Amino acid sequence: MTEALIVRGLDKTFSKPAVRELDLTVHPGELYALLGPNGAGKTTTLRMVAGLTKPDRGSISIFGVDALADPAAAKAVTAWAPDEAMIYDRLTPLEYLEFVAGLWNVEPRHAKARAQELLETLGLASEARRRCEGFSRGMKQKVALAGALIHDPRLLILDEPLTGLDAASARLVKDMLQARVDAGGTVILTTHILEVAERMADRIGIIAGGRLLAEGTLDALRTQAGQGGGDTLEDVFLQLTADGAPA
Amino acid sequence: MSLLRPGGVAWLLAHEMRLSFRALTGKRAMGGVGAMIGLAVLALVMLSGGVIIGLALRKLDVPVIPLSAAIALACCATAFTLMLSQTMAAASEALYERGDLDLLFSSPIAPRTVLFVRAMGVATGVLTVFLIFVTPLLGPAIILGHPEWLGLFGVLAALALLATATGLTLAMFLFRLIGPRRTRTVAQVLAALTGAAFFLVSQIRTLMGERASESLFQSLAREAAEGRMKIPPVGYWPLLAMLGEPLPLLAMLAIGAGAFALAALSLGKRFADAAAVTQGAEASAARPAKGRDRAFAGGVFAATLAKELRLILRDASLLSQVLLRVLYLVPTAVILSRNAGHGDGGAALAGGAGVVVFLAGQVAGSLAWITLSAEESPDLLAVSPAATRSLRRAKLAAALLPVALLLVVPLGLLLWLAPVTALWTTLGAGLSAWACGLINVWHQKPGKRADFKRRRGASWFATLAEVVVSALLAVTTGLAVAGFAPWAAIPLACAGLAMLALRRSDEQIAKVLRMA
Repeated sequence: MTEALIVRGLDKTFSKPAVRELDLTVHPGELYALLGPNGAGKTTTLRMVAGLTKPDRGSISIFGVDALADPAAAKAVTAWAPDEAMIYDRLTPLEYLEFVAGLWNVEPRHAKARAQELLETLGLASEARRRCEGFSRGMKQKVALAGALIHDPRLLILDEPLTGLDAASARLVKDMLQARVDAGGTVILTTHILEVAERMADRIGIIAGGRLLAEGTLDALRTQAGQGGGDTLEDVFLQLTADGAPA
Repeated sequence: MSLLRPGGVAWLLAHEMRLSFRALTGKRAMGGVGAMIGLAVLALVMLSGGVIIGLALRKLDVPVIPLSAAIALACCATAFTLMLSQTMAAASEALYERGDLDLLFSSPIAPRTVLFVRAMGVATGVLTVFLIFVTPLLGPAIILGHPEWLGLFGVLAALALLATATGLTLAMFLFRLIGPRRTRTVAQVLAALTGAAFFLVSQIRTLMGERASESLFQSLAREAAEGRMKIPPVGYWPLLAMLGEPLPLLAMLAIGAGAFALAALSLGKRFADAAAVTQGAEASAARPAKGRDRAFAGGVFAATLAKELRLILRDASLLSQVLLRVLYLVPTAVILSRNAGHGDGGAALAGGAGVVVFLAGQVAGSLAWITLSAEESPDLLAVSPAATRSLRRAKLAAALLPVALLLVVPLGLLLWLAPVTALWTTLGAGLSAWACGLINVWHQKPGKRADFKRRRGASWFATLAEVVVSALLAVTTGLAVAGFAPWAAIPLACAGLAMLALRRSDEQIAKVLRMA
C-alpha cells in the first residue's frame, strides 16, 4: 500500500533549528493531527510538505511521488490551507474558485459545478457573487477551504482550520473533514483545540522543538506518557511536551 | 503645562510625525540608512543644479509685468492642481484606512482635534514633497543674491493649506452626494484628473485642433508680446508674494490658513461620522458581480489572466494612478495623430511618437509590477502545480493588454493618416511595453498593492532600468519616424544590450524570490 505521506529525516534551520530529523508517516484515508506548543515546528513542517519551504535535508513522498524531485506531480494531488486564508479581497468566492480550479487545471464545467456545490455546503451560496473584501475571518476561511477542495485533493493539509470560525461553522467544517476521511481522503491538520484532535484524529503526532516526541492513537500516547486510561489528550500533551521540551 | 500635553493638537501631531518618519525610514535599520543615503545623493545632485541656477540668476531682476504675473499664476495653478490631486486622494483614503482611527475615535480626544491633526499631516506631506524639489534648486539662488525669493516658500505653504482644505471639503461633499461605496473610487479618479488637469488644459487647444503644437506658455508669451494681456491687481499677488512683498505674502498665507482652519474645524464631526459609516460599507453595499451564468475560464493561462484583469479593474487607487499616466499617454497619441493629419513637420511627429513609446513602457511597467510583484496570495500559486512560466506569461499579458487597448484607437487613426509613422510607433510602443514587462519579470520584488502609489515596493534598479530602456526605445522610434532609420539602430542596440544585461534565468529569479 502506498502511504499518503512519508517524511524522513526532515531538517530546516532558519536563524535557529525549526525542524530536526523529523520522521512522519500518514496512512491513506486517515485524519492525522499534528500537535505542539507555539514555535514547535508544526507550520514549518506542513509548509515543507506543501512545497512552500525547501528543507535543508530529508525526503518527502506524497502518494509515492518524490515531492522534492517532482513538486508539480506532488502538488497536483495536494491542497494546502493555512490559518491566514489565501484569498483575494476583490474577487467573489465564485471567481476565486474559478482561478484556483484553473491553477489545478480542473475541467471548467466540472469546476463550476463543484464550486457551486462547495459554496452551498459551506453556507456561502448567497455570498457567491459578492466580493470577499467585507467577509469575516470565518467566511474567508471557508472560501479558502472551498478552494482547497475544488480539485478534490488526495491529501489535504490544513494549518489551524478552525481558527476564526463560529461554533456552527466549526461543526460544519469538522463534518466536512470527517466525511472526506470516511470517503477515503487523507487529512493532516494542526490545531490548538485539543478536543478536536481527541475526537476526530485517527492518529496524533506531538512535536516540540522541531522533533516528533510521540505518535499514535490516543491510547498509544497515553501509554507513552505513562498515564492512565482516563486522562484527556490535554493531560497527555502537557506531560509529553513538558518531558520533551528542549532545555 | 507641557507644550505636548497628552491629547492636545501638538501631542497628536508629534505622534503622527513620528509614525510618518518611521514609515519613511522603514522597519529595518539598514533600510533606513539606505534610504537616507539615497536621499542625500539625490539632494547633492539637485543642489549642484541649484548652485548653477543660482549663479546664472544672480543678477536677474524679475520684472513686475503682465507676462511675469501670468507665469507666476500659471506656476501656482500647476502646483495647486498637483497638490489638490494628492490632498483629495489622501482625504478620501483617510476615511477608509482604519489604521489607528478607531483607537483615536474611541478615546476622549475630540473628533475635530483628530481631523485637524490628520489634515495638518496631509498639508505637511504635500508641502514636504514640493520643498524636497524646490529647496535644493532655489535655495542657492536665495543665498547667492535673492533673499526676497524666500517668499516662494510662503506661497507654497499657502497653496498646500488651501489644497488641503479644498481636498477635504471635496471628499466630504462627495461622501454626502454619492455615499461611502462610490466616494473612494470617484475621489481617486478625480484626483488623477486633477493631477493631469494642467497638462490637459494646456493641450486642449491642440487637441481641439485650433492651433496645433502651441503650448499654453507659448500662447501667453504671444499675447504678452502683442500687448493684449490684461491682469487684474489681485492677479499680481502670487508674483509679488514670491518676490517677498510682505502684504501679498501675508494675504496669501491668511487665505490658505483661514480656509484650512475653517475646513478642518467645521468638518471634524462629519469626518468622524463618515469614517464610522465607511467601516464595512464598501462590502455590505457591494453589488453582486455580473456574469451569473458565465462559464469558468479553463487552464492556468486563461484563469490567471481573468483574475489579474479583474483585480486591476477593481482597484480604485490603482486605477487612478494608472489613469494619471494614461491621461498623458492618450492625449499625446491623439496629438500625434492630429499632427500627422495636419501634415505638420517631422520633428513634431518624431517627438510625439517618442513620447507615446516612452509612456507605453511606463504604463506597462507599472501594471506589470502590480501583476507580478504585488501578488496578494503568492503561497496559493506556490502550492499549485501550475508552471511558473505559464503564470508569468498570463500576468505579463494582463499588464500588456490594457496598454494595447488604450493605444488601439489613436494608433488606428494614425495608421490611416500616416501609415509609416503608425508602423514605427506601434512597433516601438509594443517593444517598449514588452521590455518593461520583462524587466518586471526578471527583477520581481514582492510588495503590497497598496504600495503602488509611490512604487515603494518596486526595486529602484528595475524602475531605473524601465526608464532607461523605454527612453532608448523612444529615441529609436523618434529617429525612425524622422527618417533617420539607420541611426535608430544605435539606441535600439543599446536597449538590446541593456535587456541582455538585465536578463535573469528562472533559477536566478526563484533564488531572489526565496530570499525576499
